[in-house]
Amino acid sequence: MARIRNWIETRIGLDEIVKSQLTEYRVPPNVNIFYALGFVAIVGFIIQIITGFFLLVHYIPHHEHAFRSVQDIMNRVNFGWFFRLIHVVGSNLLVAVAFIHMLSVFFMGSYKKPRELTWISGILILFMTLAFCLSGYLLPWSQLSYWATTIVTTMPTAIPVAGDFITRILRGGQSVSGSTLTMFFAFHVGFIPFLTLIFIGVHIFLVRRTGISSPPFGPSGKTLNSPDSFEHDSHPGGYPFYPYFFMKDAMMVMVYLAVMFFIIAFMPMLFLPETTNSPADPYETPAHIKPEWYFLAPYQMLKIIPNKILGISLQGIIVALFLFWPLLDVKEERDTLKRPFLLSVFILLLLTWIALTLWGHYS
Amino acid sequence: MVILLQITLLSGYTTKFMKRRGFLKLLLTILGSIALILAGYPTLRFFSPAKKKAKTERLVLSKAELLRDNVKEVTFDNTPAIVINVPGKGLIALSRVCTHLGCLVSYEEERNILLCPCHAGIYDLEGNVISGPPPLPLPNYPLSIEGDKVIIG
Repeated sequence: MARIRNWIETRIGLDEIVKSQLTEYRVPPNVNIFYALGFVAIVGFIIQIITGFFLLVHYIPHHEHAFRSVQDIMNRVNFGWFFRLIHVVGSNLLVAVAFIHMLSVFFMGSYKKPRELTWISGILILFMTLAFCLSGYLLPWSQLSYWATTIVTTMPTAIPVAGDFITRILRGGQSVSGSTLTMFFAFHVGFIPFLTLIFIGVHIFLVRRTGISSPPFGPSGKTLNSPDSFEHDSHPGGYPFYPYFFMKDAMMVMVYLAVMFFIIAFMPMLFLPETTNSPADPYETPAHIKPEWYFLAPYQMLKIIPNKILGISLQGIIVALFLFWPLLDVKEERDTLKRPFLLSVFILLLLTWIALTLWGHYS
Repeated sequence: MVILLQITLLSGYTTKFMKRRGFLKLLLTILGSIALILAGYPTLRFFSPAKKKAKTERLVLSKAELLRDNVKEVTFDNTPAIVINVPGKGLIALSRVCTHLGCLVSYEEERNILLCPCHAGIYDLEGNVISGPPPLPLPNYPLSIEGDKVIIG
């Protein structure tokens, strides 16, 4: 073992990498468990990739076979149900983790100078995650897949002039069909993963380059952090990433896995309603078609705003505000608790989102 | 991942934090290893083929037709097979899968043999190897005759 280790060491200098990237790479002394969510999201993403590869072995991306192949994965393939449920439950948990990660970063003001680009790349990863969910939703070719995709791809028709064209491009034709399925499949396993990996790479690079931000509260918390020239936040008084912070990361991964396997064991059909068990029928829309929980708020918003263009534009503005928020909020104060107005807006928005989600679910 | 990092760091960099958190590390290593091993079983099973029930466990053919044509290619137990009317021996059912590398043998009328097109393995009509690389004779299927029906299996 030692000889193999030496052989590798003399060739690639692993010790130096471990030292500089793990044991001597320091995190602020007052980090909390929310700081582990980025790592949890990456592990969740890796789990999605691995189970996705597994599903590729048996999935047939053709409108005549897709539904049957997914049913076979669930009922005939050895442990097919297991890997599909990990993929299904994992996708929902990943969205939840990404949301909480974003909220905690927002709450702790970690998006502020010099970390604006880190925030923007993070939001782009969140968009990619949602694009993954949207494209993956159609693949089982069930009634729910078909009609949820029909609804989502109809939304751009509200855009003046180019709306119909965008919808046709998204569907690969006039309506959702076999062409849509193969296109969504290609996006789900090819284009989107490629872009996501690039964004994740950029995100991690930025996090490491600027150093992990300190929580703004507590006695050792930094509240002002606005250097005029580039400065690596090295946290000389902080703790080593390995093993101190890695333990937190690993523990949170265990929590993530525990939640995932709890759902798989005790609520396996939580994310698979009845309409996922009937094959897509382009001639019959089932009653109560609803998107996944993370799309319920925008879905309900579109329902209650009477004007389609207004509804879609409003959502576009919200998305743009989120993406470029660090460029708009240039105040130096990072502690949200010391900014009552921002805190009130933050809580109000969160409550509105929860209310719209619940309204969408029960309406 | 936990294990990989443990291995990488086995021989160096003990800090006061490692000592203090030794128990947590040990726990995570054990739990991580168990999780990996537990994931191994479903993975292995996932890639092994699902048990398929044979489409034809018992194949019924017309005796008159077989005696007229002398040779008929059929599928039995999900495997390509051949039923041959061998002079002096009667009807015989054999697998068509060559015992060399799995290509399918066919009946050669002119030479009255079964020939594998891949590496020229030659079998007689009872499935015995005459020449070529096949190490074993062709597997034989049980065949019985009930009235005007020929039953394989």
